[in-house]
Amino acid sequence: MARDFIYLDFAASTPVDPRVSERIVECQQAGFANPSSNHVAGRRSRAAIDHAAEQLASLLHVEPKTLIWTSGATESDNLAIAGGARFRANRGRHLVTMVTEHKAVTDVFRRLQSEGFDVTWLTPDKKGRLDPATFMAALRDDTQLASIMFVNNETGVVQDIDAIGSICRERDVLFHVDAAQAVGKLPIDLSRLPVDLLSLTGHKFYGPKGIGALYVADRSGCHVEPLFFGGGQQRQIRPGTLPSDLIAGLGLAAEIAESSMASDLRHLGTLRHILWTGIADVEGVLVNGDLETGFPGILNVSVDNVEGESLMLELEPLCVATGSACNSTSQDASPVLRALGRSDLLAQSAIRFSLGRQTRQEDVEFAARRYTKAVARLRAMAPGAAA
Amino acid sequence: MSADPYSSLVRQYFAAAAHAGDLNDAETADVEEQGVRIRLAATHVNGKILALAFRAWGCPHVIAACEGFCAEFEGKPVASLGEFRAADIMQKLSVPVEKTGRILVLEDAVRSLGQRICDGPVSQ
Repeated sequence: MARDFIYLDFAASTPVDPRVSERIVECQQAGFANPSSNHVAGRRSRAAIDHAAEQLASLLHVEPKTLIWTSGATESDNLAIAGGARFRANRGRHLVTMVTEHKAVTDVFRRLQSEGFDVTWLTPDKKGRLDPATFMAALRDDTQLASIMFVNNETGVVQDIDAIGSICRERDVLFHVDAAQAVGKLPIDLSRLPVDLLSLTGHKFYGPKGIGALYVADRSGCHVEPLFFGGGQQRQIRPGTLPSDLIAGLGLAAEIAESSMASDLRHLGTLRHILWTGIADVEGVLVNGDLETGFPGILNVSVDNVEGESLMLELEPLCVATGSACNSTSQDASPVLRALGRSDLLAQSAIRFSLGRQTRQEDVEFAARRYTKAVARLRAMAPGAAA
Repeated sequence: MSADPYSSLVRQYFAAAAHAGDLNDAETADVEEQGVRIRLAATHVNGKILALAFRAWGCPHVIAACEGFCAEFEGKPVASLGEFRAADIMQKLSVPVEKTGRILVLEDAVRSLGQRICDGPVSQ
């Protein structure tokens, strides 16, 4: 089928891998039964879930029993942060996070603030990174939970999870990581990383929407209060009948990601280099983030004297994002980019190109040409431009 | 598929903004409000608008509204500039109500242009 758009918004969502689609349909036909049922059909459905847990556990280097299935990263973030904070509320009510987190995290912290928790909001440096020393300085005797994302969804900035997690372990602070943009894309070894809670979602790594997971480390003091009640599934942490078809799809997506991660990363790195090389000469273009240490699947750039919404329209048929796609209806400047020191105008001109497995070299070459032309046209149209 | 935020006329005016640019020996009006910048230019003779042009920094609706204004008012009497209403062009282009403030910037610019023409020397 001919494409009427060029999709460069893989950080918002990825197309489901055809093998995953096949697996989901197969499971809907043969493994449709309630996995809590003890008859043969139920056991078959349960087996599909167990297999998927092993596949995801292999990707993350954890035991399958540490994985709690959820509806996606937003639910996982809510369960980890609200559930973790409430579980430890009798020990202390101080929490730590960053202003550059996804709204699925920041809005939970705001909710907890309204419940009487005290939240410290950390800001990154100009490249979006959180200095572990800054993090350590924010901890107090009553700090019980911290949440720092692995890969920023807007800029691709990668945080030093190892260093921050080590500080949390030393201070017995529950450490949650929103890894929605990292799982299946970057190597994550939770047998080594000091992470207590980790959120992920299937549709960011070529799996289905509507299914995600929360990793809950099997160690003393690491637990979350449930958000839902009604049924004893998943150790009562997240009750509800499990969607075996979606879980089976996520499991296969994890297995595919594990086997193709090295080649995926090389592919993304090559394409982002071509894209950046193609637009680097645009006068006044700035990278939001850090090309050297950031995730290679994301390139976020701003330019001066160009209005962001018009730039988006001028870039069609490219499918790209301004700020976070999850917040694309808002006209407000991205708080993530404001935290990097960008002015409102520069933040509003930001375009996030996010690349994926299906992105081709000609796609990014076209995108670079289109971006260059669009900026030139809009600047020429602006008051004050040379006639 | 969710609704396109832009009407076909907005897309048409934005993509082919034939009046974007400058005019020689023209009266001009510059307005900057609400994060929108608009510069209108007009040449006129004997009380009639000969040509209109615009420059704009704003969202697609603002650019389309500027183009729509220029296309509609070229050749009309200068006095007709006073009849321009933001609400009319918003309806014509299906501009969402939350962008009213931005389109009112164009209305201010049109008023200012009309005033300048009345106050200034006849261009030809």
